[in-house]
Amino acid sequence: MDPVRRTIERYVRLHDPDWSRIGPCWKEFVFSKHALISRAGEVEEHFYIVKSGVQRMSFPHDGEDVCVGFSYDGSWSGAYDSFVTRKPGRFDVRAVTDTVLYGIRHEDLQRLYHEIPSMERFGRLILEELMVGRATREIEQLSLSAEERYDRFVARSPKLLQLVPQKDIASYLRMTPETFSRLRARRS
Amino acid sequence: MDAITLIDDLSATLRTQMERARIVRAMPAGTLLHRPGPEKWNALEIFEHMCLSSGIYLRGLERVFDERANALPFNADFKPGLLGDYFTKGMLPKADGTIRNRMKTMRMFDPPRNSGASQESIDRFIDLCERFSELLERARKTDLNRMKVSSSLGPILRFKAGDAFRFPVAHQQRHFLQLERTLQTGQGAH
Repeated sequence: MDPVRRTIERYVRLHDPDWSRIGPCWKEFVFSKHALISRAGEVEEHFYIVKSGVQRMSFPHDGEDVCVGFSYDGSWSGAYDSFVTRKPGRFDVRAVTDTVLYGIRHEDLQRLYHEIPSMERFGRLILEELMVGRATREIEQLSLSAEERYDRFVARSPKLLQLVPQKDIASYLRMTPETFSRLRARRS
Repeated sequence: MDAITLIDDLSATLRTQMERARIVRAMPAGTLLHRPGPEKWNALEIFEHMCLSSGIYLRGLERVFDERANALPFNADFKPGLLGDYFTKGMLPKADGTIRNRMKTMRMFDPPRNSGASQESIDRFIDLCERFSELLERARKTDLNRMKVSSSLGPILRFKAGDAFRFPVAHQQRHFLQLERTLQTGQGAH
């Protein structure tokens, strides 16, 4: 089955006539490692489903690149706040490894929301999922020790440990690269 | 060498390169991302590399054409500069299609160590070739000996305008051979 359809159908059931209108709206985007997918300061045109590869979302702060999240196969990617508000984004999204995304333009997704009830439901469900994810991360950031944050990350996304540079994971977990490698050495 | 023949040859080469680029643009993701080896470039990175390198000559040519091209009378003869000719010939593949001297890429021109590449790199490459072609049309009425452009080594090495066309096009020829090898090993890859 089409990977886009399979991803959407994790949330809602699509009938073939609906899919025949949804499918053609998604285009394939290919990035080799380090390529910028979305640029801070620009309006995000696409909402992406990840087919393969790892991407990282970050924003510049105090001369550093603060990493706020990763995406990988089957998850969402892009500067989602800018996609929704149609205002210049605050995040860079970059390919960590070679990446294939399926993207849909804002106007196409809005039209599908309008025309196909199950698509609107899909939109609501992924937003809910994103919100729960942000809330979980917020609590973890504020209440867990560096060691606990490290352990949760490894338990949740073991394969990112191999694919993503350590300094990006350290930044994501809000710890220094030194703390990160100390924890890593202790745990292995 | 005859300036008009040179311009015709370069225009034809650029047309062939653009046609090929459009075909590659439509190839599947697995082919575009395929690396013949762990440290080798994929097709997208080859295009990005050509954009980074040729872009220097294109911008230099556009600037000098805007400043001077209209004021110079047509010169039917182009005499390559000593170094411009040497570097261009070093770039060109041999008659049997093999590459002369392998060279190490400067960091600033190495996509995997910089800002990566995407399908958009191919779009920009096609646009770059179109702009070279437009300049070549303007070159039919001016003097390619008397305008100078900084090379990718910077102002320490300046090429005559004619060489600033010849060198990047030859460099692209070289990378189109690499592109074909890369695509060949990547067929059926996903």
